[in-house]
Amino acid sequence: MNKSHSILFFVLVFLLQLVISNYVNLGPWIMLSLMPFLILQLPVQRTPHIVLLSAFGLGLLLDWLSAGVLGLNAFAAVVAAAPRRLLYRRIINNDRHDETWIPLLRDAGFGKYLKYLLILTGIYLAAYILLDCVSVRPFGFILVKFVASTLASTALGLLLGYAFQRRS
Amino acid sequence: MNNRSGLLSTISAILLFLVLASLSILLVVENGVVQRFRILGTARDIQAWGWTRTSNISSFFNLRSENERLVAENLLLQQRLARYQAADRQLDSAVFLVEPDFSYLSATIVKNTVDRQHNHLVIDRGSKDGVEPGLGVITARGVVGIIGAVSDHYAYVISVLGAGQTVSAKLAGSGAFGPMTWPGIRPDRMLLQEIPVHVQAAPGDTVLTSGYSTIYPPDIPVGSVVTARVSQGSSQELDVALFEDFRTLHTVYVVRNNHQPEIEELYEQVP
Repeated sequence: MNKSHSILFFVLVFLLQLVISNYVNLGPWIMLSLMPFLILQLPVQRTPHIVLLSAFGLGLLLDWLSAGVLGLNAFAAVVAAAPRRLLYRRIINNDRHDETWIPLLRDAGFGKYLKYLLILTGIYLAAYILLDCVSVRPFGFILVKFVASTLASTALGLLLGYAFQRRS
Repeated sequence: MNNRSGLLSTISAILLFLVLASLSILLVVENGVVQRFRILGTARDIQAWGWTRTSNISSFFNLRSENERLVAENLLLQQRLARYQAADRQLDSAVFLVEPDFSYLSATIVKNTVDRQHNHLVIDRGSKDGVEPGLGVITARGVVGIIGAVSDHYAYVISVLGAGQTVSAKLAGSGAFGPMTWPGIRPDRMLLQEIPVHVQAAPGDTVLTSGYSTIYPPDIPVGSVVTARVSQGSSQELDVALFEDFRTLHTVYVVRNNHQPEIEELYEQVP
């Protein structure tokens, strides 16, 4: 997939996230988020500074366009973006140094890709749900919401990862 | 040399992370959702215009249920009017004119969320219609929220279905009152707390607004008791099934307490 196609796919996933945030109501237990997938889609070799700023900007844009609490997605995106490079090196590292390389399911392998996406999604949703619910909701609710949302969001991210590699 | 630049890069990345994370938390803590509505007013109006279009599409498919709801509400209002007319005939010799306590303005919802921990609505009335932050929003079947921010043509409503939002409510029979909050799970249930243990609350008992706040008028039916349980040994917690279905909400009323300035002035006099 060339650079313009990658950008187009990125924009389409962000638009899908906007539709989910504005129009999809799955109840209080499940929150679907494609933001971890979008953070994963940022080119691997980008410096941590660019990844942090991109994640913050994306999160803020999502907060604003989905009329949520301003700062919630931005915070979660920054928290998920911070360990991205470390996670990538620990889980997927296959010595690729292409500036624009984006990890694909088939290159990384299903197990490693799933682990990478699952951890990134877990970090993102833990940050989001804790900031949103802590001290106002019981721990049991927070835990169930976190587990259900992480599983659902990871499954959706996997589907998109599969779609992305088919286009490449 | 490389080690030093690598270290500097890591430190600056950590600092950037701390700055961005702190900024995000600050926005959340400062309730940025309301502030955001105040700034970028034109952009917000454009966004609200988009919501109005999508709201129109969804309301088209809900016309039948909306119509049934309005018929029921109309019937209720006619019954109330009949009572007032009867009372008016008895008082026709009175020489004084009583100013109404509350005035109402109808509004249509263009955006509504029910599945978040901090839910909100956007209505198609703004400062040009006289809407101000702090006014209440109700329907004939319950309370909806409080105006949090306004632009020229739209207003942002902080829903009662939100963490930290409280409505003062009472039991219709005994008049026992307490704060009613949303537990955050179902959009059709709230929790009425601090009801004394000696007060008998049975399933089906009606819950009304107490009128002890200056925001909502008294005696609006809000819901009915589902279950009651003793909480911390000293009071009861009542599960309340709301009459209003927030998922299909379309038309609301912005309510203004006409005596609010006088009440606030009174509070200011208290040292």
